[in-house]
Amino acid sequence: DKIEYTPVLASSALGGRTTTSTFVLEQPRCAFTTMQDRAIIWLVVAVPDAVPDFNNSVGPGTPERAFQGFPTNASAYMTLNTTLLNYPCPTSPGDITVLRVGSETSCAKDESRPTCNGPLPGPGPYRVKFLALEGSEPVAETAWSEPITLRTAQSSNLIPMTDGRHSAGMVALTSILSILFAILLAGLVAMLVFWGSDACGGSSTFSKPEAVTVQRYNTHHVYDQPAARL
Amino acid sequence: MAKSDDGIRILQGLLVFGNVVIAMCGIALTAECIFFVSDPHGLYPLLEATENDDIYAAAWIGIFVGFALFALSILGIVGVIQSSRTLLLVYIILMLITYAFEMASCITAATQRDFLTPNLFLKQMLEMYQKSETANNNDKWMTEGVTKTWDKLMLQNQCCGVQGPSDWQEYMSAFRHTHNDADFPWPRNCCVMDAQGSPVNLDGCKLGVPGYYNSNGCYDAISGPMNTQAWGVAWFGFAILCWTFCVLLGTMFYWSRIEY
Repeated sequence: DKIEYTPVLASSALGGRTTTSTFVLEQPRCAFTTMQDRAIIWLVVAVPDAVPDFNNSVGPGTPERAFQGFPTNASAYMTLNTTLLNYPCPTSPGDITVLRVGSETSCAKDESRPTCNGPLPGPGPYRVKFLALEGSEPVAETAWSEPITLRTAQSSNLIPMTDGRHSAGMVALTSILSILFAILLAGLVAMLVFWGSDACGGSSTFSKPEAVTVQRYNTHHVYDQPAARL
Repeated sequence: MAKSDDGIRILQGLLVFGNVVIAMCGIALTAECIFFVSDPHGLYPLLEATENDDIYAAAWIGIFVGFALFALSILGIVGVIQSSRTLLLVYIILMLITYAFEMASCITAATQRDFLTPNLFLKQMLEMYQKSETANNNDKWMTEGVTKTWDKLMLQNQCCGVQGPSDWQEYMSAFRHTHNDADFPWPRNCCVMDAQGSPVNLDGCKLGVPGYYNSNGCYDAISGPMNTQAWGVAWFGFAILCWTFCVLLGTMFYWSRIEY
């Protein structure tokens, strides 16, 4: 019989809620209330086209419901079988009650494991529901979920590489330094051009501390005297 | 003339003081640039892989410019005290050459800082992290550098990806080619690790449970040190150059006033 419960994705606080090949569902806690403990609850994952004429009696493990044939040969697969004991009600607060669909990578290509919880082959969309079987008799099922679409990875070539625009600081720094350097070069040129010419000296030049001109002048004078006496 | 003598004495004093400041700034610049070149945060492989490590070139130039400023300022002090035209001319010309180099260093550091955007590192991380088929030795070297640096970054800073773990989901990457999405929605180092270096809760990490994986991005951990380095080299150099400009102008004026 039909249970008024719709499978829903886990809370968005989980970073890995949907990835490119997995998604995380909330466990159907407190949904199967009038059930025997013997029944086995399966998760059915299907493409949306298979939902209208889905046959509950087709058992898990048949080629029509094998994960390895999904979605080409099998329009739905069944996995994550467990008993009601694993979905106790009520939930203790603080528990993370989720089911990760797509986490078993070891059996994804193993044909002998048709109920493998393998990674989803594409971004979807997919619709899921929970189906309880007793033996091979369906006894209870939930509603179908809303379509679940997984993430798609874009190529890294699409990352925009806009040229780093020049910041104002860099422009200011470059222009000020260039102007200062130009002034210094002009000053150097002015220095070299007027080297030797006292035109700019005027009356404000100063003499160096050591005055060296006096001695030579005396020597010259002394040598002149003997020549004059002869 | 006593007044102009006093004026010249004051100018001499100012020039000596200016040169002392330049000497100290030169040593500070050398020390700062040596600190940057030593790469305390281990981010150099990321820059090397962008094939544009101008910030490091600017720091290297800064080391030598610092030494040159120190040596030249001593020459300047000697020249000012002795009022020697030759010494001061040599001082001015060498200082101008050093000025040009330091200018190049500042402008390079400031320009390259603008080049380092989050998208640049994102693209590099996606294309190089854990890349398995490398084209040649150079490619292999850069890939290994990027991988090791990212592993260390994510471990030490408790971060994942450039903007967050969703980087690994939103884009194709070299990592994705070798690690399937179901087992590795993001690299292992994005998980919170215990003391032995293994994830505290691997399933929690894969699910993305807050507390078991690093949900913030590493961009701040990368751009923080790089900004400090770029601005440290660029703006400190700019300050030194402004001061040197004044000292050089004063020296040129002083030189033209020396009687020869």
